[in-house]
Amino acid sequence: MGCEHNKEKLTDCLNNRLSKGERLEVDNHLTECIACQEEFAMDKQLWDSLGKMRIPEPEEAMRTNFYQMLDQFKKAEKADESFSWQHIIEKIKDFVLPQWSIQLAFSLLLVGLGLVIGRKTGKDNVKATDYQQKIETLASEVEEMKSTMMLSLIENPSATERLRAVGYTTEIVNADERVINALFTTLNNDDNVNVRLVTLEALTQYTSDAAVREGLVKSLLVQDSPMVQVALADVMVKMQEKRSIKALRTLLKKEGLNDLVKNKIEQSIKDLS
Amino acid sequence: MNALTDNSLMLRVKAGDLDKMGLLFERYNRPLFAFFYHMTHTTHASEDLVQNVFYRMLKYKHTFTGEGEFRTWMYYLARNVLNDSVKQNKTANHYDVNEMADKIGGGTLADEGLEKQQDKDFLHKAMAGLSEEYREVLILSRFQDLKYNEIAKVLNVNEGTVKVRVHRALGELKKKFFTNERR
Repeated sequence: MGCEHNKEKLTDCLNNRLSKGERLEVDNHLTECIACQEEFAMDKQLWDSLGKMRIPEPEEAMRTNFYQMLDQFKKAEKADESFSWQHIIEKIKDFVLPQWSIQLAFSLLLVGLGLVIGRKTGKDNVKATDYQQKIETLASEVEEMKSTMMLSLIENPSATERLRAVGYTTEIVNADERVINALFTTLNNDDNVNVRLVTLEALTQYTSDAAVREGLVKSLLVQDSPMVQVALADVMVKMQEKRSIKALRTLLKKEGLNDLVKNKIEQSIKDLS
Repeated sequence: MNALTDNSLMLRVKAGDLDKMGLLFERYNRPLFAFFYHMTHTTHASEDLVQNVFYRMLKYKHTFTGEGEFRTWMYYLARNVLNDSVKQNKTANHYDVNEMADKIGGGTLADEGLEKQQDKDFLHKAMAGLSEEYREVLILSRFQDLKYNEIAKVLNVNEGTVKVRVHRALGELKKKFFTNERR
């Protein structure tokens, strides 16, 4: 065995990482090779010295700190556990709240209708027009249900629920007056800016309706949030609603108007003129 | 006794019996302190780092599967704690050689000759002069008595790499100890 190969083995030998056979090979080589003997002696001296290197004792405070940290961690875990119980109770409460009942009823209705249609379609004598009619009835019922859900959720005290209510309107193609009125009430009165912004976005899908356009123009004077004012100004430009120029000018005169909003409105008036 | 193996204790901790971490602390606070001390040569920082490792073991107890050795997992976290600490500049990632020589020089025992003490100083200096990569493998294999395959898992490299690294680290240390540092 060559010396180079053996040098690596010398380290393994110090580390006690050699098998019996390998150890024997190294020993045999060492008896024959003076250079390796010397090298191994140096390695061993170094290795032994390393083992004797002394390090200071950690202070007792390390142990005290550890047990303090462990106690704190245990307390935090317990708090988390009780929190999760509360969470479960809240979930149960949520489950019995009206909006969930409505959703459940809605789901059951859909399942029921599905079953009815499924049974009907099994019969050969049903005509295609009947299917069409039934699908239309179903679609209108679904839309009606969505409107009902939207109207019941939009007055919920939770902003998240109100956002969800507004979200439903994206699925309502033909919104009736009640839905539009509810959206405007939210746009003009909701405390939460985010809800108002989402509502504005929802209303923009009905801008083909003259009443909606008029309502949006009127809303310009009601809004106090710079974000909503800017968003409304954008909508006016997008609709090219010239009637809004007057309202925008009135808004410009409003005291304490944000500079950015001011610039935006001036720009919008320019775009509309 | 199986009930008292590191792995079974850690699995109990994972299952919510957090007091068992106390037993693991008693087993490993010294070796961990030694690991950090050899890497940083700062007592207080090493104590803080030990605390951080035990905190991480509690926080990430869910990641312990029990398939590998507890020690491997612990040193893996220890290494991350050290790296994070270095990144935040809280801990020096290398020895301050002069400060260290002063400290070591002060610890002479009555039965130690001056030469023997000097040897120890030279050895500390030689260790300090090693790259972090080399120092790390020497500490893990010599002081923590980890097997090559365990070190490989801690460092996330293959066993062959560890073997070569230990060999080279020892060669480098020898060079520094027997030649450079004595000039």
